[in-house]
Amino acid sequence: MSYFAKMKGTTKSPPAVNISEIVWSWMGAFLGISAVAYINFNLLEGTGLLLMVGSFGASAVLIYGAVKSPLAQPRNLVGGHVLAALIGVACYKVFHQHMWLAASVTVATVIAVMHVTKTLHPPAGATALIAVIGDDKIHGLGFTYALMPVGAGVTIMLLIALLFNNIPGTRRYPEFWI
Amino acid sequence: MTEHQVGTCAPIDISDDDIYEAMRDISGYLDITPGDFKDVYLKAFRHAVERLTRGIKAEQVMTKDVAFVVRETPLKEVARIMASRGISGVPVLESDSTVAGVISEKDFLAAMGAGVATRVMEVVAQCLGGKACLAAPSRAKSAEDIMNKPAVTVGRDTPVMEVADILIKNRINRVPVVDSEGRMVGIISRADVVRWSTLLEAV
Repeated sequence: MSYFAKMKGTTKSPPAVNISEIVWSWMGAFLGISAVAYINFNLLEGTGLLLMVGSFGASAVLIYGAVKSPLAQPRNLVGGHVLAALIGVACYKVFHQHMWLAASVTVATVIAVMHVTKTLHPPAGATALIAVIGDDKIHGLGFTYALMPVGAGVTIMLLIALLFNNIPGTRRYPEFWI
Repeated sequence: MTEHQVGTCAPIDISDDDIYEAMRDISGYLDITPGDFKDVYLKAFRHAVERLTRGIKAEQVMTKDVAFVVRETPLKEVARIMASRGISGVPVLESDSTVAGVISEKDFLAAMGAGVATRVMEVVAQCLGGKACLAAPSRAKSAEDIMNKPAVTVGRDTPVMEVADILIKNRINRVPVVDSEGRMVGIISRADVVRWSTLLEAV
């Protein structure tokens, strides 16, 4: 296929989901994010600890809104986020004097590593980027960033996904663990 | 491994719309486009056909009791054998049982006509027209004069699906099966392949 012909696309977009799926997605995301956010904002208040990062919003799209997707499976969710957090922190430590380089090397490397480890999870790219462009609080965490907020936060989101996504007759989660 | 063209067993012509409708039947968001699914389906179909056919070898479907002639067999005798056995083709063997060629009805017709594929009805028409029998000039000839050579052959282990492809690509109706030394051990006709594929469908 010639270069420009490829830009026209070849197929149609997938169908929209039905209304019940939309409702289940909404409720799942509400519960998952509520759990993490409540702990983050109420229970951990004043402790200086974090449980929530922005990329969890993206993970919620997958694990509550596209539960069958390979990208939404536990291996990808936990593996992707933890690997990305470690790489993000490492890249910041090495390249922090050149922020543009730290940011780009981080995200590019995270994608490559997730492919190699079969843990591709798009929100993890944001997790890694946050480790680089985040505030002093994030930078101050060092490698514990990968444990908490990231590791602990996604574990809670995963737990909610397991408990919640298996309630509707039309849903099951996960498709696979490893 | 080169992509194996399965000419004899094409997958259902599934359209993007069929897939789109199927995706609507499945509850929940499927993280795939109809186009991607179609690619997966077509490749999966090929793999399934290969898996089902790889196990079945030429020697399992071939006919073992094969009528054959030698290079020197007179055409009259070749025709008699084909007629009495009710077969439309016969292999021509060397003295060491290797395959020298194959003679089919088509070769007889070609020998009678101008050398190109003649139709049966042309021969009948000419005979009915009172002209000399077209077969007459072939009386003195023997098998090696009209046989198709070199013969297309397959090995004992050739998968049946590959045999089917060989039959189609070479436009032939039968292919001798030979052992590692090239000696004929059987023959596979189109009918043998059909019999096998109906068995496969029954599974």
